Amino acid sequence: MVDVAVVGAGQTKYGNHALGLKGMWAEAALNAFESVDGDFSPSQIDEAFIGSIAFGGSQLGNTAALLTEHSAMDGVPVRRVENACASSGFAFRDAWMAIKSGQADVVVAGGIEKMNDLTPERKRFWLGVSGDTEWERLAGLTFPGTYALMARRYFHEFDSNHDDLVHISVKNHAHGAMNPLAHIQKQVSFEKAAGGFMVADPLTLYDCCPTSDGASCVILAADHVVKQFTDTPVWVRGSGASSDRLALHDRPSITQLKATAEASKRAYQQSGITPRDIDLAEVHDCFTIAELMATEDLGFAQRGQGGAFAREGRGMLNQGDVTINSSGGLKSKGHPLGATGTGQIVEVFKQLRGQVADGRQVRDAETALTHNVGGSGATCAVHVLGRERQ
Amino acid sequence: MTSGTDVWKGYLLAWDETYTLIQSPFSKGDDRVFGADSDYTTLAIAALQHRVSLGDTIECISLAEGVNGSIFTMATDVDVADESTYDSCKWDLLIGDDATVVLVQRDVQIELPELETFVEVDEDFQLAIAGAWEKELQEAHVSQGAYVSSSQYNEGGVARMALSGQQFGELLVWPPRQLNEKGDREDGRVSLTPTGNVASWTKLSAAGAPSEFSLRAPLLGGLTTVFLDLDDGPKGVFLMVDDEENDVNIGDAVELVVRRIYAQEGMIRYGLRGRII
Repeated sequence: MVDVAVVGAGQTKYGNHALGLKGMWAEAALNAFESVDGDFSPSQIDEAFIGSIAFGGSQLGNTAALLTEHSAMDGVPVRRVENACASSGFAFRDAWMAIKSGQADVVVAGGIEKMNDLTPERKRFWLGVSGDTEWERLAGLTFPGTYALMARRYFHEFDSNHDDLVHISVKNHAHGAMNPLAHIQKQVSFEKAAGGFMVADPLTLYDCCPTSDGASCVILAADHVVKQFTDTPVWVRGSGASSDRLALHDRPSITQLKATAEASKRAYQQSGITPRDIDLAEVHDCFTIAELMATEDLGFAQRGQGGAFAREGRGMLNQGDVTINSSGGLKSKGHPLGATGTGQIVEVFKQLRGQVADGRQVRDAETALTHNVGGSGATCAVHVLGRERQ
Repeated sequence: MTSGTDVWKGYLLAWDETYTLIQSPFSKGDDRVFGADSDYTTLAIAALQHRVSLGDTIECISLAEGVNGSIFTMATDVDVADESTYDSCKWDLLIGDDATVVLVQRDVQIELPELETFVEVDEDFQLAIAGAWEKELQEAHVSQGAYVSSSQYNEGGVARMALSGQQFGELLVWPPRQLNEKGDREDGRVSLTPTGNVASWTKLSAAGAPSEFSLRAPLLGGLTTVFLDLDDGPKGVFLMVDDEENDVNIGDAVELVVRRIYAQEGMIRYGLRGRII
């Protein structure tokens, strides 16, 4: 079967954008086109998948066609992919499958979200819309609340407390401070992060990702055309995905995400590697407790040892077992919902090609993982990428 | 025991064989007033639930104006009398203007006791909460983002108010599913015991409250939500009641009571809330 590689990847800076939807997407697409080493024309694109949740109420229908119209992709078969915060992780998987199936050779996967163009009251639009609305939101739960329930239960079941989450926040801010594309480019001290404003007890402001605008775009190619574009492709070695019950109260456990465990198991099996082979991972840390649980669900730490993993700095850039969230993660780089999944691919594409500056490059990076979660874990896409084809 | 006084579902209770009186425990000066998430409908449901707990079988009652009949039926599975069925009903639900309801056997003369216990509410708080509900009840008030339509709300109404679930083989399921594990419709109704233990909890800051609660959350100092392991097996998430202290801990025993949840498009949405027992 055909192998698939990433040959180009680009994104906007994440943050509070003056640009509108079309402008952000065009910027991300142009950055992706220009990142291709060889000659590349948008006319070579066979298919496109663009992830997004919503647009604050604007342009809900045929969004993807509007975006391709403004990025020189007229006529390309395109659709919007929606799986909450995992929208573009699944767009990337769909693009990979399109090439695997033999129906396409060059495919674009991307994502976009514009979240900050609403008034403060209307911005509540985004709160908790990807949970089981009828039962969870009407119990007062937004995602800070949902993940707070997980955190408190985790502290109850295992040897862990809020300090472990503070370590994750401090780490990701330290990484993000070196990333010029990050939403929040500043370090925070342990004391400041520990004493943050309480958003949803026990989670503070420093446990929560910001509300970001942003877009990201990735170009995938079949093995028989890769050479046209680059001599240093990043190969997609494994793609795993899974789903779980939407509501937290319908799951046997709220201290692990079954969808993450199953998706990563499939991605590892497909790529023929184990968690120990991963040099860097972009992990879905919408909340710090999400990263803590993911280190276990992805196999970097034993069950119940995620707190110790964080406490001991084992995810720090070039210092631990595996560099986790060299970009700053959702916590610091930002979380423009639909753009996050392919934004993670942009980061590992650059890392695996040794193109990251400012002291943020992961040394000897050969193999990377991306982990993109929808909502509180109802959907998850995990990808393993590497410099080597297999 | 054939009569008594007590606290029932967070309300004051007096009863004998012929009646149940339910009264709000709150007062403002000389006036008895409702708590932050109660009204005549929630008191009426509590009164009916009390008679059921005594072993009475009540198939229909006549309701006074001021009680939402469809919510009452969803919560209790008891029909509300209309003109054609009024004579066959043996119980009447009466309301007083002092946050009181009485469920009484028809044609029985009763003398109601004075219930002494009450809590003086802060007048400013009480006015602010009442004002917030008034705004929330305006026709144009619609939640941002996660819109739950009337039909969607009503579809889950019995599960939401009466904790009605389904039996799939040996598995008790709540909230109910449209199809069972074999792909068949499952219409059987199993009412779960409305008690459980706190497996986790959180208190959401007012600033981050979803728009359904954005007018009242600042007055309440945030929203407290519990994740419950229900005594019958299923799990659920519930707001705690607004008018009692909610110093929640994992392991606490909680009972579920019907209260106001929020209002949208001129309609109050009721549901179950937790209170520590």
